[in-house]
Amino acid sequence: MTRTAILIACGLVAGPIIGGLVSGMDRILTARMQSRIGPPVLQPFYDVVKLLFKEPLVVNVWQAFCAYCYIAAASISLVLFFLQSDLLLIFFVQAVGAVFLVVGALSSTSPFSQIGAHRELLQILSYEPLLVLVVVGFYLETGSFKIADIYAWQHPLLLKLPFLFIVLGYALTIKLRKSPFDLSTCHHAHQELVKGLLTDYSGPFLALTEIGHWFEVVLLLGVCTLFWSTSWIGMAVLLAATYFLEVLVDNITSRMTWRWMLSYVWGVGLTLSLVNLIWLHQG
Amino acid sequence: MQAVKRFINRLRSKSPWLLHFDCGSCNGCDIEILACLTPVYDVERFGIIHVGNPFHADILLTSGTVNHRNKKVLANLYSQMPNPKIVVAIGACGLSGGVFREAYNVVGGIDKVIPVDVYVPGCPPKPEAIIDGAVLGLGKLLQLQERKEA
Amino acid sequence: MDIRAGLTAILVLAPFGGAILCAVLGANRAIRSTIVLATGAVLIASALWLTSLVPFRLPVESFLGLNLHTLIQVADGLLLLIILYYGLKHKHLVIVALAVLQLLLVSYLEFFMMKGPLPVERVFCDHLSLIMVLIISIVGSIICYQAIPYMENHEHHYHILKSRQPRFFFVMLLFLGGMNGLVLFNDLTFIYFFFEVTTLCSFLLIGHDRTTIATQNALRALWMNSLGGTAFAMGMVAAYRSTGTLDLQKILVAPWLAGSEIYLLALALLCLAAFVKSAQFPFQSWLLGAMVAPTPVSALLHSSTMVKVGVYLVLRLAPGFNGTLISDSVAVFGAFSFLAGAALAVGQSNGKKVLAYSTISNLGLIFACTGLNTSEAMIAAMLLLAFHAVVKAMLFLSVGAIEQHIASRDIEDMRGLYAVMPLTALITVSGVIMMIMPPFGVLLSKWMAMEAAARNLYVIIMVALGSALTVIYWARWAGTLMSDPFAGRFRPEHQPVLTWLALGPLCIGAGVMSVLAPWLYTRLITPMMTSPYSPAYVLKDGGLENVYGTFAILPLSAVALLGLAAAVIALKRAFNAKIASPYLSGIQTGEPSMFLGPMNQPVKAEAKNYYLDTIFGEARLTDWVNLGGGILLTLIVGGAL
Repeated sequence: MTRTAILIACGLVAGPIIGGLVSGMDRILTARMQSRIGPPVLQPFYDVVKLLFKEPLVVNVWQAFCAYCYIAAASISLVLFFLQSDLLLIFFVQAVGAVFLVVGALSSTSPFSQIGAHRELLQILSYEPLLVLVVVGFYLETGSFKIADIYAWQHPLLLKLPFLFIVLGYALTIKLRKSPFDLSTCHHAHQELVKGLLTDYSGPFLALTEIGHWFEVVLLLGVCTLFWSTSWIGMAVLLAATYFLEVLVDNITSRMTWRWMLSYVWGVGLTLSLVNLIWLHQG
Repeated sequence: MQAVKRFINRLRSKSPWLLHFDCGSCNGCDIEILACLTPVYDVERFGIIHVGNPFHADILLTSGTVNHRNKKVLANLYSQMPNPKIVVAIGACGLSGGVFREAYNVVGGIDKVIPVDVYVPGCPPKPEAIIDGAVLGLGKLLQLQERKEA
Repeated sequence: MDIRAGLTAILVLAPFGGAILCAVLGANRAIRSTIVLATGAVLIASALWLTSLVPFRLPVESFLGLNLHTLIQVADGLLLLIILYYGLKHKHLVIVALAVLQLLLVSYLEFFMMKGPLPVERVFCDHLSLIMVLIISIVGSIICYQAIPYMENHEHHYHILKSRQPRFFFVMLLFLGGMNGLVLFNDLTFIYFFFEVTTLCSFLLIGHDRTTIATQNALRALWMNSLGGTAFAMGMVAAYRSTGTLDLQKILVAPWLAGSEIYLLALALLCLAAFVKSAQFPFQSWLLGAMVAPTPVSALLHSSTMVKVGVYLVLRLAPGFNGTLISDSVAVFGAFSFLAGAALAVGQSNGKKVLAYSTISNLGLIFACTGLNTSEAMIAAMLLLAFHAVVKAMLFLSVGAIEQHIASRDIEDMRGLYAVMPLTALITVSGVIMMIMPPFGVLLSKWMAMEAAARNLYVIIMVALGSALTVIYWARWAGTLMSDPFAGRFRPEHQPVLTWLALGPLCIGAGVMSVLAPWLYTRLITPMMTSPYSPAYVLKDGGLENVYGTFAILPLSAVALLGLAAAVIALKRAFNAKIASPYLSGIQTGEPSMFLGPMNQPVKAEAKNYYLDTIFGEARLTDWVNLGGGILLTLIVGGAL
């Protein structure tokens, strides 16, 4: 009972802290790649605190409701991850948050929010099947969906699921809102639809979406660690390499259209998944 | 309680998000403002992000003069910014109308429409001056908050 | 008299009685409403009483002195003659041909083939039948209740002078009795009779409005469902030929497999009949056409009960085709339907059509589960059956209420419905949430289905793609309903009492059912999991767990409730926050969603949803999807040979 309570507390605390630090390092890395210096590593925390204490301003009161639901779902999914629950369940709980974010954006009548919301739906359409197939890959290899069993696996799963790791990379790029898939909204100041999905969120509600996003980032990075669960060093190297690649891809590509994203991600993603899954199935 | 409030205020000044509105300038000031975002001057060191809509902004950076056409827009943008907020008027046009103040469509300086906190004179002002102005504005933000809480 | 036999008789015959009373005495509105309310109450009470008595099998030879078998024979013949009459009346060659064919097949079966003993244990009620009876009686009655104010409004709106409501409720109640009959009997001829009763009721109800398009669509439904009936009759003949009995439970016992190839063909034909009834591809056009009917018809027949006959039938047959090619093909076919239905729903802006495609899609998933034929898959199928029926009925009823208020079914016209009908909009949004989110039952069963399907690559890939597509059309709809510039004021709109009485219990009931899912599992589904299946999941820490997966239902529900409470508090506080106009580049005027355009004229900012017509549109996909369905069906039936 107490162990559960400690794990829940860890999940609730680790999300914002680790997520914020990762976000800060992301910005510094991006800046260095652009020959700049970049903000201090704690900058995301300053941003979030500032936003939390701004005057609450809404376009539609349901945005407040949706922002809270989003962060609730994101935090619950991370806590479930810490509790080593079922991966497919965690995926579905995380999907709840994504839907609420979209509904909140659709509740504003500004065209920027509306189009941003639809692009977000298309992004969800792109990455959801891939995440499910990655989870299926874990199941086919280890015989279980439960994280406890996957962590207990004696061999590094990366060796058996290399293509699925690349597929996870695509889903991660979309979820982290990195170019070329940053259609619906983006970090920093890369505007196109103003801030797209998040245009009409402000102040405390924007802070909540940001913290919710951190929870999701930590969750996805956690799923990455499952690929090399046998050694801490392996995990660290994998995470560092993956995240560095994500930031690199973000800086060298530009935003593309949703048609390209859907066809490319489904085309490459489904093919790679199919190959890996067949390999697992037959082997 | 006081310590917490002061802490929050300090953090506020570490994360000033900027909305830039060109009221009707010749774009000279805009180019200098844009230069601030480049790697040469890099305002992101101070946590400044150039955001696109007033909902996310703390600082409204204006360039150019207000004219009859866009005074409502300026007022709208200002009202859509949540508190606490400050306004920084860049360039001579923002102060008083600059070289255009005699024109028939020009209303005058920014302060004819919205309250201005910091004026950055120049035509155009250098990026260093603009950054100085923004930082001054942050200081003023801190003062305003502390005075409001006192 | 045995109470169980009595309850069975009430469940089947009380609605027939109510129907006749409605037809005879129903001209007066008050009398008609009382009859409907009373019949519903009797049905609900009987169904609830039945829960304590299952499972049972009863040897029943005669009813009120008449030999039951002869009774059904005669009724069947009459029914087919009525269908033949309608075919001749509308000069529809296919219906006439199919009715004649069915008469020939049934006569052949009855008079030339049946030499052996007739099935004795005719009444058969196990937990699957109980689940169906509960759905039919409770959800069906609630829908009939809502139909009372709906039809009043409907006839008022269309300026119908001589009310056709007595006829309407006659057929609705007849249908409820027919459905109960279908699930409570074990004898294939009886099931066939009730199968055709539902076909006839569907035809009569779709054509209720007597407009040209209603008649056309009703005829289309009739011929397609008659095709299903013919397949059923052929399956019956083949089943009798190969096993020598028409007792369904006896037919499903394994030894026949080794004996005769016709046995598998019989099962395949019965499955085909089921697919037609559940409007799977390529037979979906009748269900889409049926959406022109008044919405209670859509709710009752075409989402929660009649189309469930198909899945019920295949669920019954599943032990019979366990381990054969039919099983694998049905799994792939079901997954294909799931994907295709979801894709077509994305391209639709007509609300009822979205619901129709979603129904076809979910039924496809149930079929896929029965095809997978593992214990977990069967549990998932039964849970999905139950939960989907309740939630979909609620969604159809809300759309009915909305459609009557705004005189449109298009989702674009429902934009910002929250401003006009706040409570109905919220109920619809909660229905959407219950369809796609944990910890609710539909998602629980989808989770279970995905875990069960994970080893079958064809199925899991299609289900993964379909699942992502479902998120799009539901989230889009929910967001559109709430898309109001300054949503704040919440004053529940006025609706007839019976509408709230219908929507409320369905909404709350679906939520409560979801929380009680572990109890539902142990009480209603575990007893069904007999050889060759086993109760795969165990209850642990308030959730369901098995070797490879776990779903913490109760803890998640509790946490979800807490999250909801926090979100509602935030909502209340947001009422006091400053309301701003949506960002329109600073040129908004004081009016909501208006901005200053060229020449300083106000322009309304409009946005429309992405329907992705060029990719997911009906016109684009239907032919391909029909082709795919046709090929897979050929695989199923051909593979049996």
